[in-house]
Amino acid sequence: MVLSQRLHEAFKGAVERMTGPRTVSAFKEKGVLTPDEFVEAGDNLVSKCPTWSWEMGDPSSRKSYLPPDKQFLITRNVPCLRRASSIEEEYEAAGDEVLLDNDDDGGWLATHGIDRGSKGEECLASIDAEEPAKSSFRPSIPQDDEDSDVPDMLECEDLDNVVENDVATLQPYLVAYEPDDDHILRTRTYDVSITYDKYYQTPRVWLTGYDETRHLLQPELVLEDVSQDHARKTVTIEDHPHMAGKHASVHPCRHGAVMKKIIDVLMSRGVNPEVDKYLFIFLKFVASVIPTIEYDYTMDFDLGHS
Amino acid sequence: MEENENGMVLQFAAWQSAADESFWHRLASFKLNTQRLAEHPIPISGFFAPCSHPQVPSHLQLLLESLPPDTADMNDTAVEVHSNRNRLPVPGILYNTNTLESFQALDRQQLMSEATQQIWDDICSGRAEENTDLLNRFLVISYADLKKWTFTYWFAFPGLVMTPPATSASSQPASEVFNKDEAAGILAACTEWRALPSGASSTAFLLHITLNSDVRARPLKDWAIVQQDGGKVVLAFYDPCHLATNPGWPLRNLLALASVRWDVTRVQVLCYRERRGQVDLEHCPVFDVALPSLPEWKEVKDVPAAVGWERNLRGRHGPRIVHLASSMDPIRLAESAA
Repeated sequence: MVLSQRLHEAFKGAVERMTGPRTVSAFKEKGVLTPDEFVEAGDNLVSKCPTWSWEMGDPSSRKSYLPPDKQFLITRNVPCLRRASSIEEEYEAAGDEVLLDNDDDGGWLATHGIDRGSKGEECLASIDAEEPAKSSFRPSIPQDDEDSDVPDMLECEDLDNVVENDVATLQPYLVAYEPDDDHILRTRTYDVSITYDKYYQTPRVWLTGYDETRHLLQPELVLEDVSQDHARKTVTIEDHPHMAGKHASVHPCRHGAVMKKIIDVLMSRGVNPEVDKYLFIFLKFVASVIPTIEYDYTMDFDLGHS
Repeated sequence: MEENENGMVLQFAAWQSAADESFWHRLASFKLNTQRLAEHPIPISGFFAPCSHPQVPSHLQLLLESLPPDTADMNDTAVEVHSNRNRLPVPGILYNTNTLESFQALDRQQLMSEATQQIWDDICSGRAEENTDLLNRFLVISYADLKKWTFTYWFAFPGLVMTPPATSASSQPASEVFNKDEAAGILAACTEWRALPSGASSTAFLLHITLNSDVRARPLKDWAIVQQDGGKVVLAFYDPCHLATNPGWPLRNLLALASVRWDVTRVQVLCYRERRGQVDLEHCPVFDVALPSLPEWKEVKDVPAAVGWERNLRGRHGPRIVHLASSMDPIRLAESAA
């Protein structure tokens, strides 16, 4: 973690402890949510996209401004068949632009080929993770394969009863799915969770990655599944407020502004967005950050095109 | 045996386990604060949901809430097992040992046969028809090395062995097996069943297609009643497996139940699977299963053999190991925070 990020986290934590949660709705004015509005929008997400559900999390990290049984939202075991970095390489090879939005000033918008390093305000939080390698697959956190501490374990293996060689047991496969191209890309899965960030007053997305054998990915490897512009800027690796361990997170510092912008566009088209649709809009925009993680945000609602 | 020549041995895709990082943190705290040096078995809950994606199976998961609360937390408000449609609880037992030696010395065959005995008793007594998740009972053996923050563990999902095995012709998607009216009825009945709050008691059920093509979802215990009403009965279960060609492991003990309790030799099975959280009949394989006649299951009171120790990442029968020093070791945490 870089110093600026750590200082900012300390500052943010102090502010969160000393100030109360937002109580006045400013959804349309600022693109932010009160905790009650977060719960309302979360209830709507859970009812329309049933792969999402509310979680209680660890009682010791419970936030008092949210109901005990609605501390955060999660969808588990979401497949991610391709690395976002490899998709972007394809686009670049095809000479295409990746147009995420048509506004050049926002924090989220990127046309490839433009040097973005020199403009736009940097997020206070940034990351010092190494740039993901071009090769798509690297081993995850060391598992029993490499384990040298416990050599005796080997002796346990396959000593077992012959009974386990049972004809009615499908013989295991370890790779669930392989696209038929040269790159062997293994199916990763993600647990995607959404917490309420009291400081920024917006939802915040967290990614917990697993390799194809459902073993935890190092958070740095998760960055391969993040749109590369964001991997370097807006996706950080931090402690999850409700779950153990370090997780990658889309930093919420620009969420309010981006949501405000989208809401303004909707309103200029004569659509009056309801606050309970917030998370659908939010998740659609998060999809530009994690384009290959196939979580469910599909819900028919009028974006105001007609 | 003629039936067996028409079909192939029905092969069940094994459960795949997944223990959340939060679970290991919780186990470490439970070991230090509550269990201490005791080695008695601990009741735990696993969680699963029907398969919801074409490329990945659902896992049997251990989560933060899988363990009972620490005694330290006991004065907290009453703890409920937090389940919802995406995490249906499954009963399990954890044997957590104090040393690697006692982990290795565990009599795994004995543990397996104890769990199998429970499943067998629940089938024979009819309890499993009331609460179908008793059929999915599992066990975990583990050794938590809290000096190195390394967890060695091994899951077992006992599945009764039929000799000879059940057979089936190859599967077809439910959308092709049933006519349009039946499919619409099945879709509605499954959706309604899935919305029931009964969770664990409902992971297997009957689809009763009446003579005039009405479809009703009924609990397993209504098997005899439904038979009298005529029409067709399909056995359905929430299937964690994603493969179009094979059913998942929960069907294994369910078929044993069908054989023992209902004395059937043929049964049509629908593997309930979802897309985007809704049942999708195109992705629900249907199997016409032929069950062997197993007189010894009715006469002899011996518990049948069972298999189900999970394979490790090398595809062998052996424990798995997870290293969590980077997120648990106070020294490492202090260094990374410095």
